[in-house]
Amino acid sequence: MHTRLKLIFVVLATFATASLNAQDGNSASDKEELQRIALEALIHVPEERALPAVMKLLEGDGSDELKESALFVLSQMDHPDASTALLSYARTGSGDAQIKAIRMIGINGDETVLAALPEIYASGDDDVREAVLEAYLIADNVDGVFTIAMNATDEDDYEEAVQILAVMDAHEQLAQLREAKGASDALVQAYIISDNHTELELLARDSSNPDVQVEAIQALGVVDGPNAEVVLLDIYKASADEDVREAALQGLFIGDHGQSVLELYRASSNAKEKGELLEMLVIMDSDLAMEVIDQALAGDQ
Amino acid sequence: MKDDELREFDALGLDREIAAPSHMQQRWHDSIDLAAQREQTELRRSGRAFNFMSFFWGAAVTTALAIGIGIGVFLTGGPESIEPNEYVVQDRAGVFGRVLQVHLRDTQDDIASMPIDTPEDRTTLVLQIIQQNRLFEQAAERNDADSVARVLRAFEPILLKLAATDIAPQDAAALREQLAFELKVMLTKLERDTSKEITST
Repeated sequence: MHTRLKLIFVVLATFATASLNAQDGNSASDKEELQRIALEALIHVPEERALPAVMKLLEGDGSDELKESALFVLSQMDHPDASTALLSYARTGSGDAQIKAIRMIGINGDETVLAALPEIYASGDDDVREAVLEAYLIADNVDGVFTIAMNATDEDDYEEAVQILAVMDAHEQLAQLREAKGASDALVQAYIISDNHTELELLARDSSNPDVQVEAIQALGVVDGPNAEVVLLDIYKASADEDVREAALQGLFIGDHGQSVLELYRASSNAKEKGELLEMLVIMDSDLAMEVIDQALAGDQ
Repeated sequence: MKDDELREFDALGLDREIAAPSHMQQRWHDSIDLAAQREQTELRRSGRAFNFMSFFWGAAVTTALAIGIGIGVFLTGGPESIEPNEYVVQDRAGVFGRVLQVHLRDTQDDIASMPIDTPEDRTTLVLQIIQQNRLFEQAAERNDADSVARVLRAFEPILLKLAATDIAPQDAAALREQLAFELKVMLTKLERDTSKEITST
């Protein structure tokens, strides 16, 4: 108790010194530096005593940076009034202050306050919506992001939410989104981020949306999962769509799967196609290319 | 690495598949040594009688952990005979807290000496910090330190902004200042909690 009282005294003295220094004409930055030190010291003070001091600073005329620091101290408190105050700033603040308060809600992690974020998201601009997604990411709240993605009517909003889900490795939720909203470029990007070969393979084989299918096939080549070579080869053989076949070939090229390209070369009876495949083998700098060139020069098929 | 050291490492929940540069290995070794030294100092300062054998085992666990982290991180696959999480580190939360404190102090030093006017150097340093930050964030999750994990996750967007080469020097300085403050508060909180634990035992 004695130590606590001493700390409270130190904090109050620091605030007072900062105020006096300002009156003495010392620079504003000195004052703020002292206030920051006092803020840090508040961590040692019982929260019910620290809270009013932080609130006073937030309501004062300090810089945005100082107020951000004060918001961070609030985020580190377990007191319900601290999270309520964060919510209040997130609701009524403007510009950068509002964005910072939303971030601190994520750091604080109070579930009841996190539950208010959808309302802030709905009424916010692009920056606010992005901050809400980031807060959910910080709080590791997959459900919050998933709900936003499910309810998104704007393509960009949907894309951003899906990307956050990918960063959070929310495989189950991404699969649910594919079922509910269908295949999309956003999901392809998400599967690349989350290294999800299984879902990429599904999209690569799904011809219901040719553009997305081509994206997925190319992505499969980039990610190059354990079955990528087999899947790309299957797709190339099975598809009659030029774009799809080209994407599959590009995937094999990117994944450096020369053996499969050689297999296609040998199976092909189309001279034009054979020429393209041979060219690709040469570009891949594969030893197999010389073997094929020798055979071609000798007149073998 | 000995089997018991691998078990220590597994039990802490750090990801052995995350690659790290060699200077980080050394840093982790130093970190754990420092943690052990600080623990010893705290115990001396508290002026309490303590069970020597209990402290000995605590230090042994900490030292073993140092080797576990320093070497284990670089393994791409562990021996098949080791069952992850079968072995439980005594005072796991305490060990994690101390290792984290040392890591945060090192990060503080890195942030303080971060070159603001040479973006390439800054980017290299920040990317290293991000790598370590992720490692400790994972460890926090696995050690049920949710509030720590949240703060470490919150550092990453700031660090990513700092890693950008096109950020204006004054913006980089402001981000650095905020990050330094948040690190300091987090450390103060961890030290407060450690101090409370020591006082209450």
